[in-house]
Amino acid sequence: MWIIEVLGFGQQGWGGLLIAGALMTLCVTIVALLLGAVLGTMVAWAKLSGNRVLSALGNTYTTVFRGVPELLIIYLIYFGGSGAVTAIGRYLGYEGFLGLPSFAAGALAVGIISGAYQAEVYRGAFLAIPKGELEAAEAIGMHRGLRFRRIIAPQVLRFAIPGIGNVWQLSLKDSALVSVTGLADLMRTSQVAAGSTRQYFLFFIAGGCLYLVLTSLSDRLFNRAERRANRSMPSSLGHA
Amino acid sequence: MDFVFIFQTMKTLLAAVPMTLALFFLSIFFGGLLALLIVWMRVAKNPILRNFAKGYIFVFRGSPLLIQMFLVFYGLGQFGFIRYSFLWPFLREPFVCAVLSLALCTAGYTAEIFRGGLRAVSVKEIEAARSIGMSGFLLVRRIIGPIAFRHALPAYSTEIVMMVKSTALASLVTVWEVTGVAQRLISQTYRTMEVFLCAAAIYLILNFLILQAMALLEHRLSQHRRAVPRLP
Amino acid sequence: MVHEHSADPAAATVNRLSVRNIRKKFGSLEVLRGISLEAHDGDVISILGSSGSGKSTFLRCINLLEIADEGEIWVDGEHINMVRKHGRNVPASSKQVDHIRAELGMVFQSFNLWSHMTILQNLIEGPVHVLKRPRAECIAEAEALLEKVGIAEKRHAYPAHLSGGQQQRAAIARSLAMKPKVMLFDEPTSALDPELVGEVLRVMRSLAEEGMTMLVVTHEMNFARDVSNRVVFMREGLIDCDGSPAEMFSGATSPAFRQFIGNFRG
Ligand SMILES: Nc1ncnc2c1ncn2[C@@H]1O[C@H](COP(=O)(O)OP(=O)(O)O)[C@@H](O)[C@H]1O
Ligand SMILES: [Mg+2]
Repeated sequence: MWIIEVLGFGQQGWGGLLIAGALMTLCVTIVALLLGAVLGTMVAWAKLSGNRVLSALGNTYTTVFRGVPELLIIYLIYFGGSGAVTAIGRYLGYEGFLGLPSFAAGALAVGIISGAYQAEVYRGAFLAIPKGELEAAEAIGMHRGLRFRRIIAPQVLRFAIPGIGNVWQLSLKDSALVSVTGLADLMRTSQVAAGSTRQYFLFFIAGGCLYLVLTSLSDRLFNRAERRANRSMPSSLGHA
Repeated sequence: MDFVFIFQTMKTLLAAVPMTLALFFLSIFFGGLLALLIVWMRVAKNPILRNFAKGYIFVFRGSPLLIQMFLVFYGLGQFGFIRYSFLWPFLREPFVCAVLSLALCTAGYTAEIFRGGLRAVSVKEIEAARSIGMSGFLLVRRIIGPIAFRHALPAYSTEIVMMVKSTALASLVTVWEVTGVAQRLISQTYRTMEVFLCAAAIYLILNFLILQAMALLEHRLSQHRRAVPRLP
Repeated sequence: MVHEHSADPAAATVNRLSVRNIRKKFGSLEVLRGISLEAHDGDVISILGSSGSGKSTFLRCINLLEIADEGEIWVDGEHINMVRKHGRNVPASSKQVDHIRAELGMVFQSFNLWSHMTILQNLIEGPVHVLKRPRAECIAEAEALLEKVGIAEKRHAYPAHLSGGQQQRAAIARSLAMKPKVMLFDEPTSALDPELVGEVLRVMRSLAEEGMTMLVVTHEMNFARDVSNRVVFMREGLIDCDGSPAEMFSGATSPAFRQFIGNFRG
């Protein structure tokens, strides 16, 4: 039963490392999603601002980071970021190469991509708010900040949950590309295990299954969140 | 700005564009055909076919393309019956592996998109076709297929742009397309930003052209939804 | 006047349409409880009845869009073959089903034109692809039909660009393009604005005058009285009474029918 041995948690087993890799994948994706939420909100706001320069900047951001291969963006952040860090090091008197930590580079790259997709989600969600509700808020004298906090934000979040779920799934899969920087995520660990045992098929299947566990569990989570968010509006989004 | 360097970089990268395009068109073509098969199984009455299609879609949409590509590239050669089959001369080619895994993956996504299109076909239009004696493949070819495809087109355009980007992964199994060449240039010159901008420009132009073509197709296929009729 | 069963099978072969003792259940709901009807060449039969009495289901059973659990149907003398499966009828041959449907024209309440095709394309779709006739010939015939229903200038427009009345006339032309032996109409004017009803009824009336065999489910009492040569009143899945328009509207009919038309007179 060599399969149990190599996949298990014993001395010869890769089980523990694979689980650790899966957790690393989860961490990268969570950080990237949060970063993407901040970037996405800003970009969505820029695109909706009505200001020509801002909306052009916002459009450029979403076009570039949704249109260029993820791998290329990871290279940009990893190599470009390392170059920048080295330059700063040299300025501070340190000679030699300084690398950007691969976790930071990976989370940043996936976060930037995620931000481009989240921007579109938030923009769509904002536009889905019935205009009458915004006017009603204005009519009872809510000022801008209050309107955003009490009317816009909760509604946008509600409309955005399915979209955020999709972006999360996308980021989870994009995070596998971070393995090219050497970060010991699930992809990288499967690759190392496959290479050193020569059991390529087995380990890529095992890694793939763990990814399926991650995507299907998070899918369930988002579905539940969507149902909760729509509790007060049973008919507004049709069937559950 | 070092225009000489940018010009050189652009030249090197453009030489890799045919490879990117070959990966793209072949995988879209075979992936599309496979998607039709999967969606046919997905809506079949037979529970074995239906569940197989469900499983296929779940697996290929739920896991990263990179791991699928490595599975095909490194994993298949592990089996004697593949190594010694007539297919091996093809399957050991990185290019074939890349196209195979890209096509398998996009088929999962595309099948779901086509199924969404199918759901948009109104029962009444199908009934009208049945009432004049259409059934089976004729009904699918003349009525259900065209209506479903029109509804699926916007989502399918998005998937196509995703596929342009996905071809970049082929560089990780040693196929020298644009992103792979860009990575090599970066590690040779350390001029990340310039190389990135050149490569990004190439991808954005490709996307633009492909989306324009899709928009044209959509425009031609959606005359029936526009307000003003085209005069004969 | 109570409906009589025509027991002579030979009669069935000369009729355009014969239906014998059709029954249909949806789950436990018995929608048709034994309906028989004969239509001779050139008959225009109006089928009246309140909503839910099974009129649509009856037409759909004739056109095999629903399969009656029991009963027999002849179209132009051809018997539709059924086999028994789990105590209900199932068509023996799907080829025959397609062929019978091609011989019966069906006009729906909601037109059901194919939205992605122009009007002309809608008309030639069946002749070209089901009947496999030469395209040029089909186009010529289709244009003549469009002329006849009065929308020739709309032949290159899409259904969404037509008014309801024009769409319904196009749908009638689409059925006629198949050269059907019998036309079935299921409330063809019920989805139309009142001012558009007339144009559709005029087309139907001229069809009747040309001798087309027609079964028309309708709420248009004037059409039933003036155009049809027979009126059938359905109630709870049965034919309650039938007869010539003169007999039916003279008042000497069943109390249920008198009440039904009373509601229409207001
Ligand atoms: N496909 C179906 N499934 C279940 N019930 C149906 C179906 N079609 C019709 N019915 C029921 O059969 C009854 C008769 O319907 P229908 O033939 O449409 O009546 P009508 O056309 O006279 O208004 C109605 O009670 C309707 O709800
Ligand atoms: Mg009805």
